[in-house]
Amino acid sequence: MHGRLKVRTTEEERERKKKEQALKVKAYRAAMVKIQEKRLSHELDGEMLLLTSQILLRNPDVSTLWNIRRECAEQIVLKTEDLEEQQAIFETELNFSEQCLLVNPKSYNCWHHRCWILEHSPKPNWEREVQLCTKYLKMDERNFHTWDYRRYVVEKANIPKQSELDFCTEKIKVNFSNYSSWHHRSLLLPLLYPYEGEAQPKRAMSEEKLQNELEMVLTAAFTDPNDSSAWFYQRWLLGYSRQELDVCAFRCNNKHAMLAFTNPLILDAKDVAITNSEGTVIIKLTNWHSINKTKADNVWFFSLTDNAISYKEFPKEAFLEINRSDISLKKIILKTYKESLFYFKSPNQQHAFSKNVLNELQSQLESCESLLEYEPDSKWTLLTSALLMHAIDAQKYHNKSLENLEKLQKVDALRENYYKDLASRWILEKFLLNWMDSDAVPYELDLRSENLNALYYSQYLCIADKLLLPNNLTNYSSMKQLQGFSIFEY
Amino acid sequence: MDFTTFAKPSTVDTNNDKSNSDLHFWKHVEYIENHGKDQDDFEYCMTEFLRMSGIYWGVTALDIMNQLDRLDRKSIIDFIRRCQCPVTGGFAPCEGHDPHMLYTLSAIQILCIYDALNEIDCEAVVRYVSGLQQFDGSFFGDKWGEVDTRFSFCAVAILTLLGRMEGTINVERAVKFVMSCCNQTDGGFGSKPGAESHAGLIYCCVGFLSLTQSLHLLDIDKLGWWLCERQLTSGGLNGRPEKLPDVCYSWWVLSSLTIMGRLHWISADKLKEFILSCQDNETGGFADRTGNLPDIFHTLFGIGALSLLGFEGLKPINPTLCMPQYVIDRLGIKPQILPKP
Ligand SMILES: [Zn+2]
Repeated sequence: MHGRLKVRTTEEERERKKKEQALKVKAYRAAMVKIQEKRLSHELDGEMLLLTSQILLRNPDVSTLWNIRRECAEQIVLKTEDLEEQQAIFETELNFSEQCLLVNPKSYNCWHHRCWILEHSPKPNWEREVQLCTKYLKMDERNFHTWDYRRYVVEKANIPKQSELDFCTEKIKVNFSNYSSWHHRSLLLPLLYPYEGEAQPKRAMSEEKLQNELEMVLTAAFTDPNDSSAWFYQRWLLGYSRQELDVCAFRCNNKHAMLAFTNPLILDAKDVAITNSEGTVIIKLTNWHSINKTKADNVWFFSLTDNAISYKEFPKEAFLEINRSDISLKKIILKTYKESLFYFKSPNQQHAFSKNVLNELQSQLESCESLLEYEPDSKWTLLTSALLMHAIDAQKYHNKSLENLEKLQKVDALRENYYKDLASRWILEKFLLNWMDSDAVPYELDLRSENLNALYYSQYLCIADKLLLPNNLTNYSSMKQLQGFSIFEY
Repeated sequence: MDFTTFAKPSTVDTNNDKSNSDLHFWKHVEYIENHGKDQDDFEYCMTEFLRMSGIYWGVTALDIMNQLDRLDRKSIIDFIRRCQCPVTGGFAPCEGHDPHMLYTLSAIQILCIYDALNEIDCEAVVRYVSGLQQFDGSFFGDKWGEVDTRFSFCAVAILTLLGRMEGTINVERAVKFVMSCCNQTDGGFGSKPGAESHAGLIYCCVGFLSLTQSLHLLDIDKLGWWLCERQLTSGGLNGRPEKLPDVCYSWWVLSSLTIMGRLHWISADKLKEFILSCQDNETGGFADRTGNLPDIFHTLFGIGALSLLGFEGLKPINPTLCMPQYVIDRLGIKPQILPKP
């Protein structure tokens, strides 16, 4: 159903083709009838293999016929205990499936048949399968069936990860534009060079290796700046990932408490408590509700009105304790504002890279900038330099990185709204960073003069009493987390 | 069996559009209706191994075009009943073939559209599907043991349509397995752990998470960016970086973006243009790409994508289940969909 060009043919040709096809249909039907008869009478013999092979060589998608061939193999294993004889049928199947792969290397059925045969074979030769993959990847280096199969047989054959990485490097050297190789690489590096530093979310690999990879991928990307494969890999290396699960905002007064997280989660009754400096539990906050009334949410609500505790009884030094295996910061010191306790941590505060990596990023930024002098409209260079600036020092380069995103809205108009949303995200990140240290926290949050196209991080805003949205975003004001903390009603 | 018995005689009024800037509505209706009228047609015969899905594609496309009555409901339901395996409870693509998860989903989808689940043994289907779940949460496609995230989607889609998700499979493990197929580099999914991200499998996994109310596990921005980068200058979408655009990938990327609330990250107008350019203005039907031969598979995904883009004259389609929305509403099903940021 894919890649069949519609060609104009003469009446004569059409007639000839029709006759040819009519014969094929007849042969197919006759073979299928015969196969089904034989299956009903349990004749799983050589003739059955021959009949099914005639159809499968043309059409490997007829999965029932592969099932029948496996029944034939099972039959022989049951009949004889002689391992050589058993091995013979498995060899036949391996040879046959390879013939089919030559015709159609993207057949799910065919690749799965090979897995099944080898799993059941008395003497599987996994190394041979690795070589087969190497051969098939030479013919088509993007065939994901071959890559999947390779990962499976490499594991079985106990091939060292380092030698797979070498294979991968060779493939990339032959052709930089190979997303499949980059992907394969991204699975191996974190295992071979694990990251042991402090940054959250964890970097993909050790900073030393990261530096090498950054160098390698930029060389690749600059070889053909219009090819996307290497740029995707580069963005991943820059630590492009959603935030670690963490508490980002909390507020509590006499009436209620609101607890916000970086990502949605399902909050459990035994997860949260307020403690004093000695670690004594003052109040256990057990009965949480998702404010959007969903299974998982990033803002949770708790009503204190039923509890016999008032704000006056809270300790001078109060802590929020979170007891969950997926959150690393367990004890959070709370601040006071009028008759309430609160906590706020602005989004995406990036952990600085090591000096060597930073130098590498800085020199990459310079390379991008000089490339942009020659090709000012190069999409990938514009985006990557914006991302580099954001990774090196988001504050310092704030305006400059936004200029790139604005330019991208024109250069890459298909994704105009993506760039607008990304800019909105960065603007709000900066705003919230400043808000965290201002006098207005948690009382007032005034976004009216910010140039926002979307409202990211809305859960961070749930602790503010007063929220002023830009005119173009007033339709967001109905969101539960933007009701204003003091007047919030569940 | 053949399609002839499914098609009612009709008097189709074909219009004479030459250009591809409009939807050749009646041509497509005719194309689907005639599909299989010639039972000796080579293509038709060679695709009998997926007949059940073929019928689902045709039935759904016609229903979206509000022309479902052109097919004969009774003969289709009779055919489906003949395809249910009395031993396992699963459905075969057609008589004489073996049951499989893929065709079981197609059969259930058609029955739901016809509001005819009572015509088959649903309990047997539930047993078949839950029996294929493995300890690690994954699903086999059939008893021969192929594991693939496509089958995880099929399993929860079937059980959701039957209203039997509760207590039949281990949902927690099923979610865990699907998430183990998520790639750190791009936030996408492949067919098994470690497999490269691919738009078709992303649709299956995002759809799976939508049906299990677990979309919070996705890295929406990372995956959304990779998906919107699938749009090429032609307006069409491809399935992986540096590949050609294709109407079926257009559906998979588009529906995933819709479920994730990021439809606005691509250009809907350019995509519409591309899909319309893949119509065959002589025979009707959609091809994978401009200038190629049409088939019924790409015809559904072309029509479906246009419906998702709000094309006039088409019934709304549900992005998770790829079925008319009114059918999903009638069943009282609410797959999760995320809002815009
Ligand atoms: Zn396609």
